[in-house]
Amino acid sequence: MITLTVNGQKHKVDADPNMPLLWAIRDIIGLTGTKYGCGAAQCGACTVHLNGESVRSCVTKLSRAAGQQVVTIEGLSANNNHPLQQAWNELNVPQCGYCQSGQLMSAAVLLRENPQPTDQDIDDAMSGNICRCGTYQRIRSAIHLAAELQRKAMASK
Amino acid sequence: MKQQISTINKSTFPAKALAVVASLLIAVGVMAFAINDKPDASKTDTSYVVKKDSVASVKAFKQVYTVLMSARCMNCHPSGDIPLQGDDNHLHTMAPKRGIDGKGVYAMKCANCHQPTNTPGLHMPPGNPNWHLPPANMKMVFQGRTPRQLAQQLVDPKRNGNKGMKKLIEHADDGLVLAGWNPGDGRTLPPMSHAAFKKAWITWLTTGAYAPSAKAK
Amino acid sequence: MEANAISRRNFLKISGLAGSALCLGTYFVAEAKNENLITAANAEKAGIEMNAWIHIDTNGKVTIVDHRAEMGQGSYQSVPQIVAEELEVDLKDIDVIFGEGNQEKFGNQITGGSSTIRGSYKNLLKLGATSRVLLVTAAANKWGVPLIDCYAKSGHVFHRPTGKKFHYGELVEVASKLTPPQDIPLKTRAEYKLIGKPLNRRDSPAKTNGEAIFGLDKKLPGMLYAAVERNPRMRGKVKSFDATEALKVPGVKKVFKVKMGVFTIYREGVAVVATSTWAALQGKKALKVTWDDTGFEHINTADIYKIQHEKLKTDEGLLLQKVGNPDAAISKAAKVIDVVYQTPYQSHSAMEPVNCVAWYRPEKLEIWGPIQAPEWVQDFVSKQMKMPKKNVIVNMTFLGGGFGRKAFMDYPHEAAVISKEAGAPVQVIWKREDDLTQGPYRPGITYRCQGVIDNGEMSVAKFRMAGQNIDHWSNGKSSGKANDSTSEGFLKPYFDSIKNVSFAEVVFEAPIPAMWWRSVYASTNGFAYESFLNEMAHEANKDQLDFRRAYLKDERCQQLIDKLEKVSGWKSRDKKSGYGVAITECFNTTVGQVVKVSRQQNGKIKIDKVWAVMDCGWYVNPDIIAAQVEGSVLMGLGAATTHEITFKDGLVQQNNFYDYPMPRIADMPPVEVHIMENTADAGGVGEPGLPPFAPALTDAIFDLTGKRIRKLPFDMQTV
Repeated sequence: MITLTVNGQKHKVDADPNMPLLWAIRDIIGLTGTKYGCGAAQCGACTVHLNGESVRSCVTKLSRAAGQQVVTIEGLSANNNHPLQQAWNELNVPQCGYCQSGQLMSAAVLLRENPQPTDQDIDDAMSGNICRCGTYQRIRSAIHLAAELQRKAMASK
Repeated sequence: MKQQISTINKSTFPAKALAVVASLLIAVGVMAFAINDKPDASKTDTSYVVKKDSVASVKAFKQVYTVLMSARCMNCHPSGDIPLQGDDNHLHTMAPKRGIDGKGVYAMKCANCHQPTNTPGLHMPPGNPNWHLPPANMKMVFQGRTPRQLAQQLVDPKRNGNKGMKKLIEHADDGLVLAGWNPGDGRTLPPMSHAAFKKAWITWLTTGAYAPSAKAK
Repeated sequence: MEANAISRRNFLKISGLAGSALCLGTYFVAEAKNENLITAANAEKAGIEMNAWIHIDTNGKVTIVDHRAEMGQGSYQSVPQIVAEELEVDLKDIDVIFGEGNQEKFGNQITGGSSTIRGSYKNLLKLGATSRVLLVTAAANKWGVPLIDCYAKSGHVFHRPTGKKFHYGELVEVASKLTPPQDIPLKTRAEYKLIGKPLNRRDSPAKTNGEAIFGLDKKLPGMLYAAVERNPRMRGKVKSFDATEALKVPGVKKVFKVKMGVFTIYREGVAVVATSTWAALQGKKALKVTWDDTGFEHINTADIYKIQHEKLKTDEGLLLQKVGNPDAAISKAAKVIDVVYQTPYQSHSAMEPVNCVAWYRPEKLEIWGPIQAPEWVQDFVSKQMKMPKKNVIVNMTFLGGGFGRKAFMDYPHEAAVISKEAGAPVQVIWKREDDLTQGPYRPGITYRCQGVIDNGEMSVAKFRMAGQNIDHWSNGKSSGKANDSTSEGFLKPYFDSIKNVSFAEVVFEAPIPAMWWRSVYASTNGFAYESFLNEMAHEANKDQLDFRRAYLKDERCQQLIDKLEKVSGWKSRDKKSGYGVAITECFNTTVGQVVKVSRQQNGKIKIDKVWAVMDCGWYVNPDIIAAQVEGSVLMGLGAATTHEITFKDGLVQQNNFYDYPMPRIADMPPVEVHIMENTADAGGVGEPGLPPFAPALTDAIFDLTGKRIRKLPFDMQTV
């Protein structure tokens, strides 16, 4: 039995400790926003936060998450109102949408560590996430917009 | 492969070999170790003695060089800030950046994909608890270095992470160095065993750490 | 968000067909293509099973059926945006559900050929307008006032003289009993309040918080998971298998042989059914299978192109179209431009790998999945499973990309077979490796193009293509006629202006599963034909745009060229950079692109900018169009510079993104999209932005380097 915290909620999971975190989250805990894309840490569709870092859950063993904090796309914000989610909606980033959970989880780490990212910073942070629909141009714009929204929110506090 | 690694980990061979080398050297009473300026760790290096032998040293370094320039070593000692991949040393897919501490940046930190152990399967991320590149202020570039350049760099404390003899010798057993011999499914090994490499490494260092001539390739 | 949470059938049942709600749809007169509008109440009287497109309940809640898949192209936004315009409701008050697969009710549902809007917008406008008129009439009747004094706005009917109003919900009972009038005048484009506006996509929120349910996210109580080890050679069989180790994996329940139909042949494999995806995948890994690979050809990529090149040397092929006499003109010409272009096999590689959920019971088979062609699946699977068609229910989830692959019926059939054998609802997952190595693929095609420039004029253009015909493949045999897609992508006005022009298909057959891939033959034809036109312009010593202007006499083409020239700054282009151009037609839409490239300090070529001008006639949402063109450019970039599926001894050599690498964010060139404004019929949007990219890019590289690229993919790093 492995205990882990997902989106603030404790879960006891009875599964093979070698099972990738991805399948534990999707098949056992039942949160399907985290996607399977390649199973080889190539595409980033499975990105979740493990203690704040955007790990690829398809190659992260369940055992590595034991006793740790996991945040999935479902836990990125309470009301779909993370600055990135707002920006994604405002600029119509998603097409098919399948990769976007992972894109957002990666972008969230970027924005936390660098509130004013340049285009180069965005390339450096987001190059691990593949989008086959070609939403990259909008992802770039949306990260800039989210940074602005985040700054405004901070200023008004 | 696994078996081989566990053997190395458990083996007393390298330690024995070192002891033999050291005791032999002491027995013949040669001069003490001195590479360039005295590294800060030099006080603790007195147990290592050097018998200068430029021929043996250069010969040993040639072996060392083949290992350091193999994909398993060089790929994490790139000339740029992106690690390399594959036996052809191509730029790492998805272009992860070194970052200040060598552990990546933002959503592209090494440990996001590289687990504490190798992920099984072809083309899966190899793993190590401390997976990283050399840090930004000490890049320890191998890629593109000639034997002479690399030899000089390896013993220059300003460019080797301030390592003296003891630390250099110890580095042969560093977890990430050892990872080169446990590279994960489907990856070629360095051109010699870790034991042979370590022997050559120590020989090179303890015979004066001579750098090959500028013409050497 | 599960768009199909309430099945259409249930929602009709819940809301009650007659009387209490307005439910407007169409029905097909038997064997006729004409559709008639009808209300549910009348349908019940007439005993017609109609297709409900619009449903308004007594609270005024409007539900619209999206009969097409949502795979990123925006039907989930565009369809309601059209209906709401004529229905006069606010978009936020509309719910959308996906229609289940049913040809009799929805007609053609295949999400392919960029046809979602162009194939149905007139009907959707008519449905919205008819519903509105019924509601306004109902209000006038209830008030006892003249119809002309009543109007609809924001889900209400107002009485102009008094200002009194009803919300739609209060009118549905009366409206549902009226007979729908025919031939209602529709709004002009100038009157539109929603159509033509860049409104936000309604599926975005669910795609940013994890709520959107894709095929792989569908879960059923008691559902098991399956993975299948299929013969890596499509026509190969299972000789024997050893399940001992697989059955030792905790969670693995059952291992058995399966076969699924792929059009006219069957693919074989061994299924592992387990309690979790992970257990199924582990079990698949532990299987030991011996394959029977006899009785069919094991093909090699090198042989494919060798045969194609050889055939094109002598084989005139099957003629599709001809104007004048190209052969006679060529035999008399002093100089003939005679070049060969080669294009690679491509994988669709949608981000969501192929997968499907099936729940078989003897009396009913229900399927959920990322499905582009639900009515085909219903038809094919019911035949294969020997079940009456009405007992096979096909539900569409959101698609994590499709690009043509998910219009195949193989994977739903396989899921149905596995569910039947497992005796439980089952989700079948294809690993990325399965998705990439099993096909189908866009066929790789070689073209021979011959032309003559006579006194600066292009007097001859003769085109032949040698490559797999998708129809032959799916029908299991050659039709003996030329592939009618041989000239796809080539602009029609050229046939009026080039004196001698012809297209022929040089038949090439291969045992490789071939399937439509975004923009289909235009994606490869476009590269060959437009590259050739650029070579001809060069030969004639003409500017590429001026050269095209001289032959594309059609007014819309002239306007498009003018626009492209203007927005790209074509006339004042800087000499240090390379500029290239191409214009193609695809699914009744014309797209022109200008690509600008330059050499960086490190010696490598970089794409600085792409300008695209699209003429798709009547359109709904310009922002969705821009997104589709941006995406088409990126997919075209991968296809032109990186991607090639190769075969060795009948085996596909690419496996995953590590050897079929996708362009990443830093590879995305800035794309600027312009849409032509006109009142012509709607053309496609999702695909036509792709074909002109490769020829425009290679033309730009020629402009910069003097090097013609005639074979795709080419390496941007080493040009």
